[in-house]
Amino acid sequence: MDHDRVFRVRAGMKDFDAVIVGSGAGGGIVACVLAEAGKHVLVLERGRALSFADVGRDHLRNQRLSIYGHNAGPDLDGNPRVFVDPLGKSRIVKPHELDYHNNAACVGGGTRVYGAQAWRFPPDDFRMASKYGVPGGSSLADWPISYEDLEPFYERAEWELGAAGDGSALQELIPRKRNYPLPPVASSPQTDALKKGAQILGWRVGPVPLLINTVPYNNRAACAGCKYCVGFACPTDAKNGTQNTVIPRALATGNCELEVDAIVEKIDTDSRGNVIGITYISATQRRVARSKVVIISGGAIESARLLLNSHSSHHLAGLGNDHDQVGRNLQGHLYPRAYGLMSSSVFNGIGPGVSIATTQFNHDNDGVIGGGMLADDFIKPPIDFWYDSLPPDLPRWGLLNKQFMKANYTRVLHVRGPVQDIPKPDGRVTVDPSVKDRWGIPVARLSGTTHAETVKAAEFMRVRGEEWLRASGCESVWSARPDLMLSGRQHQAGTCRMGHDPKSSVTDQWGRVHNLDNLFVVDGSLHVTNGGFNPVLTIMALAYRCADHIAKNID
Amino acid sequence: MIPADEFPGAWEAGVGNYLERQFAGDLAHQLELYCAGLDGLEAEANARFNEHFARLKSSQQNAIIESVESGEVISSWKVDPRQFFKLLVETAAEGYYSDPEQGGNFDAVSWTMTGFSECGPV
Repeated sequence: MDHDRVFRVRAGMKDFDAVIVGSGAGGGIVACVLAEAGKHVLVLERGRALSFADVGRDHLRNQRLSIYGHNAGPDLDGNPRVFVDPLGKSRIVKPHELDYHNNAACVGGGTRVYGAQAWRFPPDDFRMASKYGVPGGSSLADWPISYEDLEPFYERAEWELGAAGDGSALQELIPRKRNYPLPPVASSPQTDALKKGAQILGWRVGPVPLLINTVPYNNRAACAGCKYCVGFACPTDAKNGTQNTVIPRALATGNCELEVDAIVEKIDTDSRGNVIGITYISATQRRVARSKVVIISGGAIESARLLLNSHSSHHLAGLGNDHDQVGRNLQGHLYPRAYGLMSSSVFNGIGPGVSIATTQFNHDNDGVIGGGMLADDFIKPPIDFWYDSLPPDLPRWGLLNKQFMKANYTRVLHVRGPVQDIPKPDGRVTVDPSVKDRWGIPVARLSGTTHAETVKAAEFMRVRGEEWLRASGCESVWSARPDLMLSGRQHQAGTCRMGHDPKSSVTDQWGRVHNLDNLFVVDGSLHVTNGGFNPVLTIMALAYRCADHIAKNID
Repeated sequence: MIPADEFPGAWEAGVGNYLERQFAGDLAHQLELYCAGLDGLEAEANARFNEHFARLKSSQQNAIIESVESGEVISSWKVDPRQFFKLLVETAAEGYYSDPEQGGNFDAVSWTMTGFSECGPV
């Protein structure tokens, strides 16, 4: 079997057993597994290690509302991308603009500032093509692995990083062998209202699983219930990312070196086309690191960009790109959302705010491929609420607007959730032929969209959202119809999909790039489809599975 | 934009302070649009009511703002009135509802008003 091949050590050419590019959900876990297995590891992170104060509480410059900037990298200047709109018009975008499709660039990656929803993808999410057929023009496919293959690694991620939830809830859709290590987040008035609504409708609901210490765990404190969760850093360090769990463990072994502000320019190959390490830029110096294996964990956009930029005489179109697959099938999630007005306050001021979800509509919906989860929302700062949540028929200014904010900030119930993106090959990352970043490296160019079937599912879920809010007692409800658009952003995935066939995938089931012995991708890029759920726990579970395989096979 | 009731209006809550900071920083490139829009409001007040905008009754001011919002102005504008309106309304909300560290929202007055800071740890 192709995936059982052992990487060959090329004597005298390496300083490290493994170089890992990126310290987010994927790279952080691979670093920990390899370092604890006694391997000598170099982790290169293009961002910096950010303290709580570094991330700050700026309401206009954070990962959730980034009107004038953001708080977790990359720097606004010197890191452009090119975005091509559906009409084919391209423009240069900065990291805080929506069309940049940013994820954080810092130690921990997106997990430094995420909301930390810890969903497993249910079994049917791994076999979308078999279950639904492949709609014309889409690249919908089954994963090369099943839920059963990943289940032990989901459990490991939940226990090693620390997930809070109720293992007995939602079992019907997502079976599990072992409970969560931590109890679920507490209910709030909004939870209670939505629970009643779901009961009336006969929908199954359960607590939203979160990688948050609801009680002290791993020698760190419990959540203090502040109002700044998604988009910000945690004041009690109770939100579990890779920066406060697996990365410190990796460093504690003494086997792992972490270099920040390190920009990887290229994956290096020798005269025969074999991967030998990487070239990177650190403090304006160009450096080289040699290793037995190279693992790319830069997120779906940056990982694809690096592979494409690593072309050579043996790999003219970039590494792993012999069949023009690298960068294709870029996806994330459309996020249908609905709002409703309750007759009294449903706000108790205690974060994180997200608490209850329904998984009633993740599959088996008439006329829809897939579906999605719906949950209540994190507490929104008032300016975020003003931009995001007001009824479309409310004037945007004047006394009526102010009175709505005054009377209803605490009375509006929100539900939202990701739907299964149905991928298309032309939703993609390429490398721009002319625009370069501040280090002279060609930047990512984003174009295309997912398949129109995605919008059907999102519209279906929007209507379910309104239904849930009405049943929960809302006097009036509102929402916006979803549009077809590129949906990468923080949930970006799919650009180096796993598969058995090198003609239609980039890596094997272990994240090993086809036809190369020692080059791996371990991040959301591997996702064949991105589930109807937040994807981070799946990135983590896959990272554990791939890392075990890599550790066993490094001589 | 955000008139006073039992809670202060935009100006008293520090939105002017917020705007000053923003137009010296992130929004420096929009200062010209903003100033041209303010000139437009003045021209519109003059054309319709033969008076300075600031001296109009609030119902007259509101009528002008509504026409700016819909782009149906009768005076000649150097900029697109709808573009100016978007900037006007969004920056007012940002100054009023965002964190006081931005220069507006004095004493977090809008957070008291909305209930954001009512209970629970901030």
